[in-house]
Amino acid sequence: MRDFLLGLAFVIGGGVVIAVAQTYPTMPALQYGPSLFPSLIGGGMVIGGLVLALTRIGQLRIAFAGPRSQTPRYDYRGLLISLLPCALIVFYILASEWLGAPLCMALSMLILMLLRGARPWLSLVVSLVVAAAIYLLFSRYLLIPLPEGTLLSQILP
Amino acid sequence: MDSFLQGLAMVFNVQTMLVIVAAAVFGLFVGAIPGLTATMAVALLVPITFYMDATPAIAAIVATSAMAIFAGDIPGTYLNIPGTPASAAYVGESYRLAQKGRARETLGTNLICSVIGGLFGTMVLVFVSPSLAEMALNFSSFEYFWLALLGLSSSIFIAIGSRVKAFLSLTVGLLLSTVGLDMMSGAPRFTFGVPDLMAGINFIPVMIGMFALNEIMMFYGSRAEARSVPVMAKDSVFANAPGHVKTYWRNILRGSSLGTLIGALPGAGADIAAWIAYALGKSRSKEKEKYGTGHIEGIVDASSANNSGISGAWVPALVFGIPGDTITAIVIGVLYMKGMNPGPTIFMNGGGQVYALFTVFFVANLIMLPIGYLAIRASKVFILTPRKLLMPVILSFCIVGAFAINNSITDIWIMLIIGLVAFVLARNDFPMAPAILGLVLGGTLENSFMSSMLKSNGDLLAFFERPISAALGALVILIWALPTLIRLFRHWRRPAQTDQTPRSS
Repeated sequence: MRDFLLGLAFVIGGGVVIAVAQTYPTMPALQYGPSLFPSLIGGGMVIGGLVLALTRIGQLRIAFAGPRSQTPRYDYRGLLISLLPCALIVFYILASEWLGAPLCMALSMLILMLLRGARPWLSLVVSLVVAAAIYLLFSRYLLIPLPEGTLLSQILP
Repeated sequence: MDSFLQGLAMVFNVQTMLVIVAAAVFGLFVGAIPGLTATMAVALLVPITFYMDATPAIAAIVATSAMAIFAGDIPGTYLNIPGTPASAAYVGESYRLAQKGRARETLGTNLICSVIGGLFGTMVLVFVSPSLAEMALNFSSFEYFWLALLGLSSSIFIAIGSRVKAFLSLTVGLLLSTVGLDMMSGAPRFTFGVPDLMAGINFIPVMIGMFALNEIMMFYGSRAEARSVPVMAKDSVFANAPGHVKTYWRNILRGSSLGTLIGALPGAGADIAAWIAYALGKSRSKEKEKYGTGHIEGIVDASSANNSGISGAWVPALVFGIPGDTITAIVIGVLYMKGMNPGPTIFMNGGGQVYALFTVFFVANLIMLPIGYLAIRASKVFILTPRKLLMPVILSFCIVGAFAINNSITDIWIMLIIGLVAFVLARNDFPMAPAILGLVLGGTLENSFMSSMLKSNGDLLAFFERPISAALGALVILIWALPTLIRLFRHWRRPAQTDQTPRSS
């Protein structure tokens, strides 16, 4: 089922790529313009996606024909939990300018550690120490301008 | 001679040696923790190598990858969980040996085989690369087009699992390679008005997303934590290892040469090398029946093959700029960043830098012996490190690492989106190696095609007019036709066999 849907997604994606590629300007001196490769790639996505979807139609029929109890239940809770690291990255992107990189990292690490049942005091210590260490390493030694955070810069002297 | 001495001086200084030791320890740590791969270790390391000189940067990558591949054997032996996919082929064998109280002996043999395999691959790199580079000096855009296509094709046909999925994975990588300003016309493609995308997608955030963020998401999605109780070990590390090396020297030689060859093929890395070497070792063994019961012969082939594969992958990467595996795909980017453009001229103009590179390989492989020995003695530290504490730390490194390349939030977004795409694809058994090769080789493929078309006034037959170009073209067509030919051959043999059966009865 998932392969069938992914095949369809590739077909749609490939179609969009081809459509976007057609808008690229053509150069009079060149026989092949900047749209050639994206169009070929889009074509490959459409063909590959079609093959993947069509080869899974048989399995799809069996899955729909069989009793509902036989189809394995999808682990939606696991899927949602696996998206939490992504949500925390978005949190970092949106909040780091205000809260600062060390605090955002420490908070993200603490949440993820507690989620998997790590001891609270250990999680707190590890996340604070690691966040401070990463900030010092990248910001002070490698001179990466990690956001310090307006909140901390207002509080600290 | 001056270049040689200059190369030695570039490696044998305090800074580079410290970097090698630190990188080996880092590789050991990442490799020994199940779920973290050697590619992930290298991807996380790149943002730090960005701020190093060329030699220590390359040294760090070589030492990390070599050590991580060996370290993958440690949890495999004690917990029956391979630390990296490259150790999966013989994990059952080493775990059963550990259950018999021979864990350290197994790891000691593994370590020696890994070192020999790595050194063998390095010797091939040292002796074969310069001759290949001399030949490659005559290559034009026609040959490079076929080479890039050869790399991409073999990444699909060598991939384990569905070829359609490997092909679709490749299209994702190729599509990413088209983002940015077109080299010929200067037209922006798929930039969506984002200025940061004009120069194209930097492959480091892509790598971090594909190999690190994807793994983190997998970990939280699976709810798995290694809770197995490790097997206890009190035996000696090196007491019996020399005896095993002496007994199975043919296996080590075969595994090393096979690993180097497979490693050099684009798309096939240390894991495929180990699987094939294990299968070949079993089929050629005089004691086949002992395989699967904890037989030391079962690990010597594969453990030498995976480390030699790491070195072998550098041959096409250095000579042609075509990566042999995902690690060398990262390395190619690092080489460009350091001004050491991969290609045949690196051997002509590189001077001491090339000798330094070769020396780094020898040192990184030899340093595995003392560090590996200490790691085997202190295995518990690595295998019992809880991933629930480690994965959040890796996530922080991912964020900062992606940001550090261009000091841009856009790169964090790229890492996030690619990580999500990779997660969906990997959960549905799409291989990741073709996507990486597509991203790295996409530009070479398109630019060499466009240049060739300009030179030949659009005549496609020009791709077959030069002898090497024609040979490479024929090889590509053969690779494409191979599955159909094999199917036809099997189809042809089956009726012949069924015809024979009634006659014999």
